[in-house]
Amino acid sequence: MVDPGPIATKTDEELAREARAGSRRSFEELAHRYKRRLFVYLRPRLGSDQDAEDMVQETFLKLFRNIRSYDPAFQFSTWLYTSANRLAISSYRKKRVASGRLDVEAAGALADPEAGAGGEAGSAGIWDAARALGRNQYRVLWLRYGEDMAIEDIAVSLGKSRLAVRLLLHRARKGLMKRVCPAPAMATATETAAVKETPLG
Amino acid sequence: MLCKLTRWLISRQVDLGKAVPRFALRHAARCGACRAYARFAASLPSRFAGERAAFLAAAPNFPLNEAKRAEDGAVRGKREILPRRLALRPFPAAAAAVLIVAGVLVLSQVVLREAGPSPQDEAAALAALKTVTAAPEEFQGMVAEAESPLAKERRILERSVASAVEYLQTRLNIKFERKHEPKTL
Repeated sequence: MVDPGPIATKTDEELAREARAGSRRSFEELAHRYKRRLFVYLRPRLGSDQDAEDMVQETFLKLFRNIRSYDPAFQFSTWLYTSANRLAISSYRKKRVASGRLDVEAAGALADPEAGAGGEAGSAGIWDAARALGRNQYRVLWLRYGEDMAIEDIAVSLGKSRLAVRLLLHRARKGLMKRVCPAPAMATATETAAVKETPLG
Repeated sequence: MLCKLTRWLISRQVDLGKAVPRFALRHAARCGACRAYARFAASLPSRFAGERAAFLAAAPNFPLNEAKRAEDGAVRGKREILPRRLALRPFPAAAAAVLIVAGVLVLSQVVLREAGPSPQDEAAALAALKTVTAAPEEFQGMVAEAESPLAKERRILERSVASAVEYLQTRLNIKFERKHEPKTL
């Protein structure tokens, strides 16, 4: 029996359990919570906003079909992003097989993750800088800082080892620092670092 | 080289919470760039969290296709009624299967078994049995014929000894007498 409590205050895992028990309303709430998050996660690796929207729809349809296989012992977000990753890989392979090669527009969009990222080009936020790093680094940054996932969960979602995830995060941080703190700022940071107390230790 | 190692160890501290070794701390105390990296890495969670809402708000708010899921769910519900019932109760399903197989085996034994003898065959068999039981003499004769080879041998020997004795009595004009009775077998 589904608990009739206020649905907005429930955790993702509670909603997923209810959806598993047959509550469509709980599933819609989950989809509402995650649709934009999934969109910004998938957008850099797909050719266009439309492709990303389609992939989000496809992911939720797949989750809805397989909601009974959800294990409440795991975080819902891990399950969601794992499914989304697999679908994105599968879609990419189908496209490649269908056309023989990626079309020029899609390839251009993949090569330039800043293009058509859903936000304005000049917003210059740290997330935009992260998105400009490259697909893999952006994905781990989103899962780590956007979804607050543990290294183990990120590794499961991406199908990589924990060490590979840590390497990607390390490179992403270094790349991000170069982009966010350019050389003059770095010099200033270096000068002030000599005066201020270190956060280490 | 030491900068690379120090920054990797700083990342390890951020990701796993493991302490930075003393040599890396000593290096960071001297190297401003590594201290800047440490500060930057430590500031990332709050910076990302602070800009997350604005970043998400910039994404298009497209409608989700709930109708398709509802349609898919209805079709799936109809399609899965029978398989799910079986899947959720594996032991009763297995027991029912065993019962069905056992029933089929029993029925096949009963139905496919060979038919019994006809009344004529039964009557002929009974008559033959009666002739056998009604002729005990023949049985005795058969038993007598089937005596052991040792007794037969003994009888032959006795006969030859008796004829030899008779010959000698006649020829020599003497009389032989048996001292002991012959032992039985």
